[in-house]
Amino acid sequence: MLETDERLLNWPNEGNRRVPYAVFTDPAIFARENELIFRGPTWNFLGLEAEIPKPGDVKSTNVAATPVLLIRTADGRITAVVNRCSHKGSLLCIEPFANRKNLTCVYHAWSFDLDGNLRGVPFRNGVGGKGGMPEAFDLAEHGLERLRVETICGLIFGTFSDAVEPLDAYLGEAMSANIRRVLDRPIEVLGYQHQVMHGNWKLYMENARDPYHATILHAFYPTFKLNKLNMDGGIVLDPVGRHAITYSKSATDTAGAYEGGDLRSMINDFGLADPSVISWKWERDDGISLAVQSIFPSFVIHQIYNSLAVRQLIPIAPDKAELHWTLFGYADDDDELRAIRRKQANLVGSAGYISMEDGAVVSFIQRGIGGDETAQSVIELGGYDVATSDGVRATETSVRGFWNGYRGLMGFDR
Amino acid sequence: MTEVVTRDPRRIIEDLHARYVRCIDDDRLEAWPDLFTDPCRYQITTRENVTRNLPLGLLECTSTGMLRDRIEALRRVNVYEPQTYSHHISALEVTPRDDGTFAARSNYLVIRTMAEGDTMLFSAGVYADVIEIAGEGARFRERIVIAESRRIDTLLVLPI
Repeated sequence: MLETDERLLNWPNEGNRRVPYAVFTDPAIFARENELIFRGPTWNFLGLEAEIPKPGDVKSTNVAATPVLLIRTADGRITAVVNRCSHKGSLLCIEPFANRKNLTCVYHAWSFDLDGNLRGVPFRNGVGGKGGMPEAFDLAEHGLERLRVETICGLIFGTFSDAVEPLDAYLGEAMSANIRRVLDRPIEVLGYQHQVMHGNWKLYMENARDPYHATILHAFYPTFKLNKLNMDGGIVLDPVGRHAITYSKSATDTAGAYEGGDLRSMINDFGLADPSVISWKWERDDGISLAVQSIFPSFVIHQIYNSLAVRQLIPIAPDKAELHWTLFGYADDDDELRAIRRKQANLVGSAGYISMEDGAVVSFIQRGIGGDETAQSVIELGGYDVATSDGVRATETSVRGFWNGYRGLMGFDR
Repeated sequence: MTEVVTRDPRRIIEDLHARYVRCIDDDRLEAWPDLFTDPCRYQITTRENVTRNLPLGLLECTSTGMLRDRIEALRRVNVYEPQTYSHHISALEVTPRDDGTFAARSNYLVIRTMAEGDTMLFSAGVYADVIEIAGEGARFRERIVIAESRRIDTLLVLPI
């Protein structure tokens, strides 16, 4: 742990409603996030059980900068190890997906079992009694670094921390309840997308939980009355505020709020030539048409009408991140639902009618905040607090909640 | 499909490709949907999804109405940085199909230039087409864009 007197930043006295732009640009802060957040006491999304169904299945992923392999062992357990040979540091698996009996490095063929134990070192006893490893070399001391792994409803999370609470306590009851709601049946992966964001990872995580921008930047939402702030809805936070769900109920739409003002977002004379892209079907009786849930630090799961996806954000550099979208449906979907999900895939992702703007705005901010180390953002919609907000989404409480969680882990809360 | 094809289908398909590129690269996007039959299938996906036999890609239109909606939305609804494409198409292979249409396969390269002036190689991949030829004209019944580039930089708004 770093000493607190090595503090990189003095957070503004206003607290969670001000964010100094240095957190999006400073390489030293970016490096410390890797240590204190991504390798610290957090649970990081690694993948779906549906992606590694068979013994020996391997998925390559990352926890921030650290390359990780997600593995189904021969006896059906799920493990995760750092994708780095303990000899010289080479990647052990370079494919996005593979099926392996063991992990063998291409460089000098050190070989590991699927739990990360070192099993073989070529020429360990030398050649003709000469060379080889010293007597003291012990395979047991040179296994791969392992992550703790836990799952909820087919989502796999991993952590480097021995101290973090179990996953269900980390998520809390309210967050777990929505995950159980969306993932109440076995799922089937329908497609992948990968989107490079030219902005700091936290700009996207603010964005994903920000109901203020959703119906303004994404004009498609109010234009087709898919999501408006005057619909019934709300924000659910965990006690710290670092996890958030924003939801809305389309059947409760009322007139007003968007009409007649300066908002460009409700375009009255725009109609779709083929509206099948927004025709959808109720799948639950709770009236929730849209629920976007963020789990700290960098995971999102969404239900946007019949579109279902998980999003995993990997920080690359202070001004760059990669967003991995995994679109899915349920294994028991009938043909009608499959067709609807396929149409609605047009709404989300890097080319999505209601999401492409996020890639643009993250880069607009990153370029906008240069040049003044003292400048900061203002996050006061809905007041100063961090709290669950029933019925009201004209608030940035969920964004303040992200910073509350972030500041605590980074030592910026004092 | 009963009309006699009087010109070399390969030349007709090359003309179709050229018109396609001119619509997008010269910002005459409103004419782009006219290059497809109705219904049609236009999908942008990735080699990754095709190899893994996954049905979803980046976008998919199944009618000329959906193609028009994409253009109308990018003109009026969606927010993005002004940008242009330069398409480069090569290695066209044309194969007649039993129903009188033609399967065509070609490589593409899309170079994207942003309003600020940055130019980047945005996407490389393959067009897998089914093309109807009637008289002197040709249209896409199906155009599947299979991008080798699985990473999309920032966003995808103009068609590939």
